[in-house]
Amino acid sequence: MANLNNKAREERTYDAIVVGSGITGGWAAKELTERGLKTLVLERGGPVRHIADYPTAATDPWQTRYPRGRLPEAELKTKYPMQRRTGYAVTEYTQHFFVRDDENPYSETQRFDWIRGYHVGGRSLTWGRQSYRWSDLDFEANARDGVGVDWPIRYADLAPWYDHVERFIGVSGQAEGLPQLPDGVFQPPMEMNCVEKAFKQRSEARFPERRITIGRAAHLTAPTEEQQALGRGKCMNRNLCMRGCPYGAYFSSNSASLVAAERTGNLQIRPNSIVTTLVHDARTGRASGVKILDAETGQEEEFHAKVIFLCASAIASAWILLNSRSPRFPNGFGNGSDQVGRNLMDHHLGVGAGAEVEGFDDKYYSGRRPNGLYIPRFRNLGDAATRRTDYLRGFGYQGGAGRPSWERPVDGFGADRKAALTQPGPWMVRLGGFGEILPNARNRMTLNTAVKDKHGLPTITFDATIGDNEKAMRKDMAAAAAEMLEAAGFKNVRPFDGDYALGLGIHEMGTARMGRDPRTSVLNARNQMHECPNVFITDGAAMTSSACVNPSLTYMALTARAAAFAAEAGRKGDL
Amino acid sequence: MTAPMLNRRDAFAGALATLWAVPVVVHAQAATAVPAWTPKALSADEARTLAAACERIMPATDTPGAVAVGVPQFIDRAMADWFEPADVQQLRAGLASLDAQARSRFKAPFAALSGERQDALLRAAEAEGKAASRPHWFPALREFVTVGYFTSEPGATKALRYDPVPGDYRGCVPLKEIGRAWAT
Repeated sequence: MANLNNKAREERTYDAIVVGSGITGGWAAKELTERGLKTLVLERGGPVRHIADYPTAATDPWQTRYPRGRLPEAELKTKYPMQRRTGYAVTEYTQHFFVRDDENPYSETQRFDWIRGYHVGGRSLTWGRQSYRWSDLDFEANARDGVGVDWPIRYADLAPWYDHVERFIGVSGQAEGLPQLPDGVFQPPMEMNCVEKAFKQRSEARFPERRITIGRAAHLTAPTEEQQALGRGKCMNRNLCMRGCPYGAYFSSNSASLVAAERTGNLQIRPNSIVTTLVHDARTGRASGVKILDAETGQEEEFHAKVIFLCASAIASAWILLNSRSPRFPNGFGNGSDQVGRNLMDHHLGVGAGAEVEGFDDKYYSGRRPNGLYIPRFRNLGDAATRRTDYLRGFGYQGGAGRPSWERPVDGFGADRKAALTQPGPWMVRLGGFGEILPNARNRMTLNTAVKDKHGLPTITFDATIGDNEKAMRKDMAAAAAEMLEAAGFKNVRPFDGDYALGLGIHEMGTARMGRDPRTSVLNARNQMHECPNVFITDGAAMTSSACVNPSLTYMALTARAAAFAAEAGRKGDL
Repeated sequence: MTAPMLNRRDAFAGALATLWAVPVVVHAQAATAVPAWTPKALSADEARTLAAACERIMPATDTPGAVAVGVPQFIDRAMADWFEPADVQQLRAGLASLDAQARSRFKAPFAALSGERQDALLRAAEAEGKAASRPHWFPALREFVTVGYFTSEPGATKALRYDPVPGDYRGCVPLKEIGRAWAT
């Protein structure tokens, strides 16, 4: 019997376990398997095979069941009451990549938009692909402002890992030489259109510190040999990315990192495996493995490993910690600091300005560029000229110019109206801000044992909102955008400040922050749990502050860096 | 609750359609022959009115019109499984009032009127819609005719330009070179 048990345990034992297969889980899997670790990836959702499981990737507009692929109101209301809050995410084209809220409920003390998908690849299939580096302006911000805790790392720690990640995923972009937005390893930039070029020229003449560049996006514009060998190709400018890319042109776990991991022969992916708890071994003071619930059979199982990476997303990883209570960790796994679930951040958005453009009527474009303009942060850069007295930190803009097609409102009916709609409408420009949110211990998620999901597991209650700093910043985000559009001579400049609740940016972070002091943070400078050295958390949970740029590139760099460290430390027996 | 209700409604509509499977043919101005079709949500009379209105809103010109590309069927299908019940009611009431106006002013069903007379009634409906303080059926119908038309294969590929796989992005191209608005 003892031998049989040993054998059974051996079969469930790996060098490493990675929880989650999204943008960080895929990276952890790639880096660990490439370093020779037999790695088990546990994914709570079902399998998604690259290309084969992108059922709508080639659907033409006339092939949809519903008008414009929009789901009926009754279906949105019953199945997707939270996911629909984005307005764009859940459609006939994409609904298989988003959770059903009726099956995966959560509670809100204050509104929180938790937009997500449970499947292999996670949100790496539906992400926005904008990829920006942080700078020391960001890593030093908490220390400088006395907000939250200091990051235990600086830009120099992460710079080589940004290089490493960019080289693999492929980021198209333009080097600009700005200290607040370090340049990276770029593939050729995408092109600006005529009006965007004119906007850049005119606005920069008036506001030279507000650099206008093309978005840095994880799309291949000149695939490397390594990328081609993985089966990835050049971006075809279809802009149907959220359906999954049959060309593998944008980076996802499915198209790239999991493929690379699989080719090492060291990868095992187990879908439909909901990790419910980290198992603490009091004898060793380490995590011995994880317990899962099989989503299909309802069976509980346990897997063991020397190293565990939590890459389930900021909220799901924190949920696993909070749900893992033991005599050693009565308040949740590694939660002696009581910081797990706190400091929940996002990027606040939905604020900016739009305008109409006169002229350029004889100009148009060809192709649907899956990218736009980017205007890097230009406030509070550390000098007197950019200093704001009304708020800390800053924001960047994403936007662009285009000509609306037949979807624009045109009065009347008949042949004249039809003829008008077959020609492009007037040029429009729009800038939308992405603002930094300060860490705040009161913004938190907690375990809700009263409400259970369809598997009988505890759920989450959110209690978080933006504060005065963000509200003051929003005023400037609208005003500064309008100012630039005015400076460019555009007409009918309209600032907007729309509906925003925390989470709508789909950049959740901060729920198990990195820091120097175990009393006030959960992870150390290597994303290693202060209280359990063989558990690493490298998704958005690790973020000590939010900066104002899209976070995925930083998550990936942190993951690759932590995986390299974990593999090396494991080899030396230091975990 | 929702799913069984929907199924029951579908079954009911199907039974009706079998009993009263009246082929819908647009008599009036559509130059091309229109294949008969069996509406899912509308009565045959309503479908005739709808088809005639669709064709005046998006007529055949150098490119096909609404009827030839199947816009009435598109709207009928959406009424069966996509519209909110209140929107279905609103549109049916709109079609009914259009037909009633036709009968009272011109002593004939809307679908049988000349294009000129149909246009006069539609112009009146548009004006009524602009003056209305609440959502009105005319702009809603016009929007759905427009969506149905430009998301149809002929609408997207003939009236507009459609390129499923552009390959390159060119940011600054003379409009003349493209000729028409992009469908997507």
